[in-house]
Amino acid sequence: MTFFTVVARGLIRRPVRTGLTVLGISVGIAAVVALVGISRGFSKSWETGMKARGTDVVISNMGSSLIPKPFSASVIDRIAHLPHVAATCGILVDLISVENAQMIMVSAREWGGFSWNNLKLISGRMPHDATEPAVLLGRTAANVLNKKVGDKIQIETGELSVIGIVDGNAWVENGSIILALPLFQEITGNLGKINIVDLRVNPSTSAKDVQRLCEQINSLVPEGRAVVAGEHITDSEAYRMAQAMSWGTSLLAVLVGVLGVMNTMLMTVFERTQEICILLALGWKRGRIIRMVLWESAMLGLLGGVAGVLIGSVGVRILGRTPSIRGLLEPDLSTGLLAVSVAIAVAVGVVSGLYPAWRSSRLVPSRALQS
Amino acid sequence: MSENIGAEKTEEHAEKSKSERGFSDPTSNHLSGPATTLDTKTGPSLPYLFEAVGIAKKFEDGQVHALRGVNLRVMAGEFIAVTGPSGCGKTTLLQMLGALDRPTKGTLLYRGNSIPDLRDPWRYRALEIGFIFQAFHLLPTFTALENVQIPMFENHLSAAERKDRAVGLLKSVGLKNRLDHFPAKLSGGERQRVAIARSLANSPSVLLADEPTGNLDSENAHLILELIARLHHEQNMTLVLVTHDIGIAQRASRIIQMKDGRIVTDSESIIVRK
Repeated sequence: MTFFTVVARGLIRRPVRTGLTVLGISVGIAAVVALVGISRGFSKSWETGMKARGTDVVISNMGSSLIPKPFSASVIDRIAHLPHVAATCGILVDLISVENAQMIMVSAREWGGFSWNNLKLISGRMPHDATEPAVLLGRTAANVLNKKVGDKIQIETGELSVIGIVDGNAWVENGSIILALPLFQEITGNLGKINIVDLRVNPSTSAKDVQRLCEQINSLVPEGRAVVAGEHITDSEAYRMAQAMSWGTSLLAVLVGVLGVMNTMLMTVFERTQEICILLALGWKRGRIIRMVLWESAMLGLLGGVAGVLIGSVGVRILGRTPSIRGLLEPDLSTGLLAVSVAIAVAVGVVSGLYPAWRSSRLVPSRALQS
Repeated sequence: MSENIGAEKTEEHAEKSKSERGFSDPTSNHLSGPATTLDTKTGPSLPYLFEAVGIAKKFEDGQVHALRGVNLRVMAGEFIAVTGPSGCGKTTLLQMLGALDRPTKGTLLYRGNSIPDLRDPWRYRALEIGFIFQAFHLLPTFTALENVQIPMFENHLSAAERKDRAVGLLKSVGLKNRLDHFPAKLSGGERQRVAIARSLANSPSVLLADEPTGNLDSENAHLILELIARLHHEQNMTLVLVTHDIGIAQRASRIIQMKDGRIVTDSESIIVRK
């Protein structure tokens, strides 16, 4: 028998209470995993989407929304001639409700722009020209909308034909409806407007030159902001707000976990007053009693953390399959996030056990003889 | 239940432990010495194991005087029965001797060291004292074998050594077939034998037994008393046994009777007077 046998026996003596406490912590940790994983996944999806399109710099005005504000397409004329700029592509993106999908990404691209090049046809064909009333569907979007080549699709007031299913090599691309820019400008009443400029730099351009280019664009284009691809999401006010909200909600859930563990450990200490007094009477140091209580609460945290990571990972995947957000999100459940979540749970356990441990160490051993 | 309680391994362990404890043996005839902590490795040699001078205990509300000026001297190896009616202070006296509680007044020494001033009271309780309680106080979620190992955590023994020693102790009290039984599956007599084995875990110098047969039928009570008496005899342990049963008290070499928190008769004093 080792000291940890004593710790383990303390936990299994009340299996239902231990189980419920572990469940309480795991719900908090699952919230951390799910919310933080989703918000990180959102930015990562955009970043991989940008990389898949071969975009180095993005010009947009994210403001406080998740979709950039539209601005005039003439912006492209102001930046196309700048040094290191190899190519540009004006894009109008929006998150809208299309048929049975409550929210889906629509990405309308300047005809002939490089942002079409990464799309690999799985079935069907590419549009003949910018005026053909047709769309391509990313393969996830096709699944979500339950469409195949030859079907019709209603986007707001416009009825268009599905002419191809594509693989865009990124979650965001595969979850999108892709069409030529003029069609979507007309459908949404945004004639002559775009909200993103994808910009590709020459292959030999250094990171420093890219930064300098961004500064130049920012001085030339006050209606947008140029940032290195991917950063435009993390840089946006809306993303930061969403991330703060996800951490805030997670912390609340974790706080509930702290109170749960503290309650359990206090109950344990009260219930085991005589047992702790016997241990003291038999010569256990107060420090060992404190360690015993802290290890028990840390173990509750660890078990809750592991269970929470499992629940969160599975839950977020199930969530990702729900019709309302299917194809929109790819949670970023990195090893780092999972490890941090378990570490938070263990810390919750230790912190929650401090007061009960202190209480237990103040007990007078003579109480063991009183019954 | 007939194996020698003081098995070779136990004795070896006892010698090793005692040499590490830093307690001096009473060999000279000084009546009192400086009240030092037990960490003093070379303390004065004193004749009395325990010496209590005017110890009193008032409980927190200040209304109950459990002890009212108790004077007591105990030699090493004595078998003392403390008897008296309920509430006379027997158990409180035992708690003071075992450092489970502190007197509110008076001096209480163990081998010349002040018990209330011990820097490491846990060490004293773990290594010098073995407790036997009326209600056994075994931990219900641990087997007999594990219960006996509980006090050994404060000793420098490996897990395997703890287990071997606990097996030896349980065998010595006749429970070799009950090692993996939980307390709920043991009879009252068996539980008390586990508690006795536990009290010997660190080869203490003193056994403090509080009504050890109080919860047992007469047959088991007899067996337990025989076992405790044998322990005292074979290991020359000091035994302080609290009982309200005068029949049990008469087995001791010295009987102390208490009433209202005071010692009213002490057979040693009677012998001395005679």
